[in-house]
Order: sequence, then C-alpha cells, then structure tokens
Amino acid sequence: MNWGFMFKSFPKLLSVLPITLYLSIIGTLIGLILAILIAIGREKKIVILTPILNLFVSVMRGVPTIVQIYIVYYGLPRLIYALFEHGANSKAITLSSMTIGVVAFALNSSANLSEAIRAAYHSVDHSQYDAALSVGMTPYEAIKRIVLPQLIPNFIPNFTNVFLDIIKDTSLVYNIGIVEIMGKANIIASFAFNYLEAYLDALVIYLIVCFIFARILSWLENIIRRRVFA
Amino acid sequence: MPLLQIKNLKKKFDKKNILKGVDLTINKGEVIVIIGPSGSGKTTLLKNINFLEQPTSGEMNFKGHLINLQKLNKQNELLLRRHTAMVFQNYSLFKNKTALENITEGLIYGKKMDKNKANQIALKELNAVNLSDKKDSYPAQLSGGQQQRIGIARATALDPDLILFDEPTSALDPELVGTVIDDIDNLANKGQTMIVVTHLMSFAKRIGTKILFFEDGQIKDSGTPDKIFNHPDNKRVEEFLSAIAQDK
Ligand SMILES: Nc1ncnc2c1ncn2[C@@H]1O[C@H](COP(=O)(O)OP(=O)(O)OP(=O)(O)O)[C@@H](O)[C@H]1O
Ligand SMILES: [Mg+2]
Repeated sequence: MNWGFMFKSFPKLLSVLPITLYLSIIGTLIGLILAILIAIGREKKIVILTPILNLFVSVMRGVPTIVQIYIVYYGLPRLIYALFEHGANSKAITLSSMTIGVVAFALNSSANLSEAIRAAYHSVDHSQYDAALSVGMTPYEAIKRIVLPQLIPNFIPNFTNVFLDIIKDTSLVYNIGIVEIMGKANIIASFAFNYLEAYLDALVIYLIVCFIFARILSWLENIIRRRVFA
Repeated sequence: MPLLQIKNLKKKFDKKNILKGVDLTINKGEVIVIIGPSGSGKTTLLKNINFLEQPTSGEMNFKGHLINLQKLNKQNELLLRRHTAMVFQNYSLFKNKTALENITEGLIYGKKMDKNKANQIALKELNAVNLSDKKDSYPAQLSGGQQQRIGIARATALDPDLILFDEPTSALDPELVGTVIDDIDNLANKGQTMIVVTHLMSFAKRIGTKILFFEDGQIKDSGTPDKIFNHPDNKRVEEFLSAIAQDK
C-alpha cells in the first residue's frame, strides 16, 4: 500500500470532480423536467402517448445504464443526422462526449424520476384535490396550492435516491472517453499499477460527495415539510 | 322555482351503471336526507352534483341555468362549485393549511375576496364553532371532531346556496358525533339548503324535510321522515331500516 501515492493523487482526482458534478446535476435537472412531462402524460391517460411513455419507462428501467450510454453515444448522432441533415453535401454530426453523457443521464434519470413523481402524487389523498375544487378553486389552483405543496416533501427522498444513483453512474462514462473521477483514477493508476490507491481515492470522493448531497436534500425536505405541515 | 333540479342523471364507471337515472328537486331551505345501503351510489350522486365526477348524461337546472350534463364546460363547473359547498366523510381539510387558511382559501380563490375580508369571515366562522383558539393549528394537530367542525365552517363561510354533506359523522368517534350533528342542525334551523347522506337514522329524522331511500343507483322511495320511517311504499326500506337497527 503506497500511502504517499494515494495522498498525492487525491487532489488530481478532485480536480475532475466538476465534471462528475456537471454530468450528474445537469443530467438530473434535465431529467427532472422530462420526468414531470412523462408523469403528466402517464397520469392523464392519453391515447397512444401514454402507452409509449409506459414503454419508455419500462425499457429505461430494464436496461443497464452502460448500455444506455453506448446506445446514446452511437445512436444519437445518427438520429440527429437522420432528422435534420438531408441532401448531398450534409456532413456527419459530431457531438461532444459531455453532451452525450448529459443526454444519457437525463434520459436515464427521467424514467426513475417520473416514477418517483407519480408515487409522490399518489401519496396525496385524491380528496384533497376534490376539496379544493369544491370550494371553487380552478384545477390549476387546486394543484398549485393544495396538491403540489404536499407532493414535494414526499418526492424529495426518492429524488435523492435517483440523484445519488446518477452520481455513482457517472463513473461509467470513462467508457466513452470522458475523464471524470473514475477515468482519472484509471489513468493515474495505470502508470505504476497503483490501482488500489487510486480507487480508494475515488471511493473517498464519491462517499463524501454523496454524503453531502444526501444531507443537503434531507435538510431541504425537513424545511419544506415543516413549512407545509406545521 | 326550485334551487336545483336534476333530471335522469346517469353515471357509468367503465361499463358499470352506478347511477341509473336519478331525478331530484330541491327548493331553497329544504334539507334532503339520503339513506341507503353501502355501495348504492350515494357518494357518487353528490359528486355528480358539484361535478367532482363527470356525469354520463342527464339535465340540470341550477338557479335557472340549464346545463346539459353530457357536455359540461368550465363555466358550468365553476357555477356549481362556487354556489355550493361540500363536507366530506374524511373531513379532507387541506393538510398544508391552518384551520384559518382552510376557510380563507375558498373565500380568496373561489369567491375572489380580498385577504382581510376573508380573514374576518374565517375568524367569525371559527368563533361560531368555538374553535377560534385553533386558528393556527394544522389538521394533523386537531381531533376528528374539530376537523369536521372546521370542514363545516369551511363550507358555510362560502355562504353557499347548497351544502352537500357526505356522511359527515361516520368517521368520528361516537362521543364526537353529537357536537357535529348539533352544528349541522343549527345550520338547518337557519334555513341553509342542504343534501345530507347519513347512516344515522335519528339524525335523518331530526333534520330532514324530505328523505330519499337510495338503492342500486336509483331513488327507490321518498317522502317526509314520517312516511319513510313509519309507512314507506317500498318494503326494501323496512328491510334496510331493520338491518341498520340490528347493527346497533
Ligand atoms: N372512481 C370510481 N371508479 C370506479 N367505480 C367507482 C368509482 N367510485 C365509485 N365507484 C363504484 O360505484 C359504486 C357506488 O359507490 P359510492 O361510493 O357512490 O357508494 P355509497 O353509496 O356512497 O357507499 P357508502 O355508503 O359505502 O359510502 C360502488 O360500487 C363503487 O365501487
Ligand atoms: Mg359514500
């Protein structure tokens, strides 16, 4: 065990933490927006659209993240090409690996977050909505003033799970050439075969990052819960 | 002219007929009490009156507005909801609002009142049910009886033409039923028009100007309390009443 190496490598790994954070935070935020739309589409029971969304969610949940990343990596440029580039002198599309990563994590988290939103929505008794309509609120006001404030604190714990999973899954994107924490660990370790040391550095960073986010989100949940219910 | 008249109201869930053509007329100041077995469609009937459920077909005349129940629009929905109020079996107080806010929400968003005026009215309503000291409490901090009395205050504050009560006492502990019944009785004495679904026959007799016996999605018998409880036309009423009496 080379403690000196581990100590020296730690700041090098830390220097790519912004990449991990960028991928997970931006990916999850875009995923959240998609998830809201997916959840509404699935709850509204719209012909054709709802079954498609159901299928999308099942597929995303039934396929390993690494497979999703590869599919986006190889598939997305072709899809964009097919959709937008016609004619003889159109060029091939190049997308940066970071863009691919963000898209992959947005899609991946959108499926799980839409499930989390639906669970939180169903945790609010339907009669709360009925009561709001019965006093003359419009459906929009009823959702905004009565249902949403009760839904959000119920949503945060599941959101936290999904978000932490995404942080951990960013360790997969070194496979498509992004040098985030795991990629950096691999590179540093390979010079002198200090794999254990480098991976222990990575372990410490993931652990601390996930711990901090878990604490922040649970603190947020408590604040909101207290403001909403007491 | 009656306050509310409903003709041939039908409601299907999936392919099942739950309301099979209900006719109902209520005049100002009347208290209609609906009794009948569990699952007969009483809650569904109330929710079809203020359109919490979309009726399948039928016609309504509310204060002179003719409404085709098959083709509701937003105006119809708001018309009914802003001139009626509902008291729920499980209270359904807004869990994220204080007792006071539970009452002001409808005044501010339903009746478009300004906040000061709404607060004044809400305080007066809480006073009337002896709960002004609970104005800042959330529903989770109140007993069932207190919640239901606030549920009633929330309804009356709106000064509605009609209040729909769906088994307002059936979720309450027996010792709390009395005060809630007294509140409703007071309202009836003040001339509030209402439709009350209940399983408490003594309560039905006490407040009803008219009793409807509801079974299998239909009104099977109707009349004054004396007629329904002492000499009903339909012998199912007697069977229902004796079955209920045995439960006690
Ligand atoms: N949203 C719904 N979807 C499908 N079926 C429903 C729905 N709401 C009610 N029903 C069905 O309609 C029938 C009547 O229900 P309803 O709640 O109106 O009865 P009720 O007379 O109020 O009974 P209780 O005395 O137990 O409250 C029941 O068979 C019920 O299963
Ligand atoms: Mg019922």
